[in-house]
Amino acid sequence: MYAIIDCDNCYVSCERVFRPDLNGKPVVVLSNNDGCVVARSNEAKSLGIKPGTPYFKMARQFKEDEIAVFSSNYELYGDLTARVVEIIRQEAPRYFRYSIDECFVMLDNSSSTDLKSWGERLYKRIRKSVGMPVSVGIAPTKTLAKVASHFAKKYPGYNHCCMIDNEERRVKALKLFNIKDVWGIGRRYSAKLETLGIATAFDFASKSKDWVNSTFRNVVAFRTWAELNGEDCIADETMAAKKSICTSRSFSGQVKDLETLGIYVSNYAAKCAEKLRRQGSVASVVGVFIQTNRFREDLPQDWQFLEHTLPTATDSSILIVQAASALLKRMFKEGYQYKKAGVILNGITPSESVQLNIFGSDPETLKRLKAIDTAIDRINKLNGSETVFLGAQQFAGKSDGGKSEVLAETMRHEFRSKNPTTRWSDIIRLK
Amino acid sequence: MTDVLTYQGEFESNLELQLAESVKAGFPSPADDYRHEPLDFNRDLIRHPEATFYGRVDGDSMIEAGIGDGDIAIIDRALEAADGDIVVAYINNEFTMKYLDLSHSKDGYIELKPANRKYSPIRISDTDNFEVWGVVVWTIRNWKR
Repeated sequence: MYAIIDCDNCYVSCERVFRPDLNGKPVVVLSNNDGCVVARSNEAKSLGIKPGTPYFKMARQFKEDEIAVFSSNYELYGDLTARVVEIIRQEAPRYFRYSIDECFVMLDNSSSTDLKSWGERLYKRIRKSVGMPVSVGIAPTKTLAKVASHFAKKYPGYNHCCMIDNEERRVKALKLFNIKDVWGIGRRYSAKLETLGIATAFDFASKSKDWVNSTFRNVVAFRTWAELNGEDCIADETMAAKKSICTSRSFSGQVKDLETLGIYVSNYAAKCAEKLRRQGSVASVVGVFIQTNRFREDLPQDWQFLEHTLPTATDSSILIVQAASALLKRMFKEGYQYKKAGVILNGITPSESVQLNIFGSDPETLKRLKAIDTAIDRINKLNGSETVFLGAQQFAGKSDGGKSEVLAETMRHEFRSKNPTTRWSDIIRLK
Repeated sequence: MTDVLTYQGEFESNLELQLAESVKAGFPSPADDYRHEPLDFNRDLIRHPEATFYGRVDGDSMIEAGIGDGDIAIIDRALEAADGDIVVAYINNEFTMKYLDLSHSKDGYIELKPANRKYSPIRISDTDNFEVWGVVVWTIRNWKR
């Protein structure tokens, strides 16, 4: 059996830990740069606010409806979710973190009542210790566990823990479950499935194996179908690392020269490398994109994307920044005002499985690169991110909290909350 | 080349207070057989790291309990608040630290009691937007600036 533990409206719940007055009130969290809505409380959802709503369009309505608005504060979310994961680790030794707000747990075959009360107890412990509400879904496959966690979220009667542990419950749940909400289906498949007259997860699961194979010719669709039918076939380790890592941002101004653009792209590449190391993965494909402001039709428009495959999969900041900078030089064109850039890493695998390319870096060089990365990560962890950076990143200077001014300048975060768990200056005041 | 020197304090590690143990060169110390893990505040004062938060005292409402302005409170959210505990509560849009008095629960209210004669207790009824946020387990005061 598997359990998935999923934080309810994670970013909103993190903000509420230090703002209990916002319990029961509409709250939204904005994306990087305060661009659009990325997280909503249930109350905000009931008001009809959709994910991805641009903030500038809604600012007035947010004020009128007394909706609390926060800039995203990943420092806070990272700390609180790590506490959630720590509790899960104590309660279930075999687990892996799937994303910032989701953990899968591999359960032994205990009896159903034991598992149900385990899930309810886990909810209570996380809720009390961290202040985070979670939903627990338990089922024989990961895909069914995801379905169960949706029900745990939706219906209070489940006490935050829903279990699909027999055929009757499986059929009942799938009949009530919209196909587009099934894990692994996505917008592309759900559109196709709808035209084929498939509305619920049950409709899809009831199709024959041959039908699924001939209609999709795709292993993901087939696995999803099998998992919905109770067949456990998504390997644990493939879930542990996410498929790609991307760091991208819109600048607050526009950038015309290669040098400045190079600083941004190097920064994003370094950020991606740090993320890779944090999840214990390596990447073999580095991609860079740049684009002009598509809303400024009066200006010449450009959009570029290039990828480079590295000889050896790596998590080295130096190699990834180098590759990204080289790509940028190839794609950059004079005469355009760029508004946004990003770095995307692909071909991500767990770092243990790296095949050293004999024509690539020799082990001694790799060892040296590793030592540098370890030092960078350690110093940045102690002193706030971006205290130490590579020459190519070229920070203009340090501002509050170790963030560089160049990077800070590109980011808008008007409604950022404090960091009471990671900075002494921000701990809560007790009257 | 693998040696990367950084001139930077490391704040993550534990401060180990080694109990005095004289070094006698040349002889194996008879105390070696009785070695024990060194004292460690992180291990011994913080029972639930995942549930532990910190707060700074603002004001003198707990001064008679020996807690003054600027002191740091170590708050454990995993603990169930009991009558007489010093708790952190959230009321009227702010965090406050007071003694929890549950002795009037049967009369339908609880009280948050300051440790300062100048202030009166805060009476909480069911209708108030109120929560006990955590239990204070230690406070820390700095003496040598």
